[in-house]
Amino acid sequence: MTTRKTILPLLMLGIPVLCAQAPPDFSGVYYPLNPFGANALGRGAGAGKQPPATGKQKGPPPRPTQSAPLADGSQGRSPDAPSLTPAYMAKWEMIRKSRMAGSSEYDNTAKCLPPGMPAMMNMAYGMEVMQTKDKITFFSELNDALRRVYLDGRKPTQKILDDPTYAGYSTGHWEGDTLLVDTVALHENSFIEGFSPHSDAMTIKERIRFLSPGLLEDRITVTDPKALTKPWETVKTYRKATAGTDELREFACPEGLGDAK
Amino acid sequence: MTGMLQRIPRGMITMRAHFIALAVLGAAFFHATPGLAHHSNVAFEVTKVVTITGVVKDFQWRNPHTWVLLAVDDGKGGKVDWAVEGRAPGILLRAGWSKNSLKPGEMITVDMSPARDGSKTGLVARVTKADGTILANAPPPTQ
Repeated sequence: MTTRKTILPLLMLGIPVLCAQAPPDFSGVYYPLNPFGANALGRGAGAGKQPPATGKQKGPPPRPTQSAPLADGSQGRSPDAPSLTPAYMAKWEMIRKSRMAGSSEYDNTAKCLPPGMPAMMNMAYGMEVMQTKDKITFFSELNDALRRVYLDGRKPTQKILDDPTYAGYSTGHWEGDTLLVDTVALHENSFIEGFSPHSDAMTIKERIRFLSPGLLEDRITVTDPKALTKPWETVKTYRKATAGTDELREFACPEGLGDAK
Repeated sequence: MTGMLQRIPRGMITMRAHFIALAVLGAAFFHATPGLAHHSNVAFEVTKVVTITGVVKDFQWRNPHTWVLLAVDDGKGGKVDWAVEGRAPGILLRAGWSKNSLKPGEMITVDMSPARDGSKTGLVARVTKADGTILANAPPPTQ
């Protein structure tokens, strides 16, 4: 009897403590599970075995390089590519022709521009997440690009909405162990994926969570009433880096900017 | 794909038979030393792999892409300059490269996806050093 009297209040005290469990800590360096997967860069991307690892070994020449997925539009659009409205399909076709002709006019990477949302979440070169109670920052090694997700309850002001950027303006909140993120204020000079264009009306919703320790998932839904016939959904998965690969390198893209043609 | 590659003696350019015609055609239009234009992947025949062997003239460790410049025997007693484009330093670091992986004067073999326009450039698939060490173009897969 005495024991029950002692335990019951303790249990009652524990209930609110459990309900107010701290959110998971996403901090760390991550690499995408399939950076050049079909979903990320187009049909045929990432096909074939990985090339052999660095080291002393003999073997046949590798499969065609994984750094060059068939995202050039030469095979049309992937079935899982964003469903574009006729006007934006025409824009895509114009960009495709320009690229196939060897022009870098629509190649943001060649111009050292940020990859922008949502394409930057491919994180093909690696990602570093920095988390505090009020803000999560996602850093992309590719082009040293940053995005910040504010968790302190602030909302985008009209001034922010009038000033669109590549990464856009992101706010988020926790729902259990899942981070829900809304992104707005995105300008048109970036791509949804590959070189699928979008309008300034694009908005993005994300649900980010650990599938298991060290395995982070980002479920992304892109809405664009001008460019898309229906919302486009994609899922990115990242593995936390282990010792020896947990440092990203400076990109300093403009060093090679003169190379662009 | 790889089984279709044919090797000929070191110092010569090797490539898939049906690609030779394209390269010869391209050579007629691109006599100049290849320039270091940044190319998007669309500039390369990414489903093909050709192999060249030559002497490193320069190794440029920078973003957005690294570059290896090398002199390749033209099979007629002369040399021809190639400039091959590699992936970014961050990716190559994790694949086992370093800034000092390639030194001017050393002989290397490069497997690469050739340029569509037949110019003397390509996208590196891997580099093999004279002692047999392979430098891969990507880190081991994250699985």
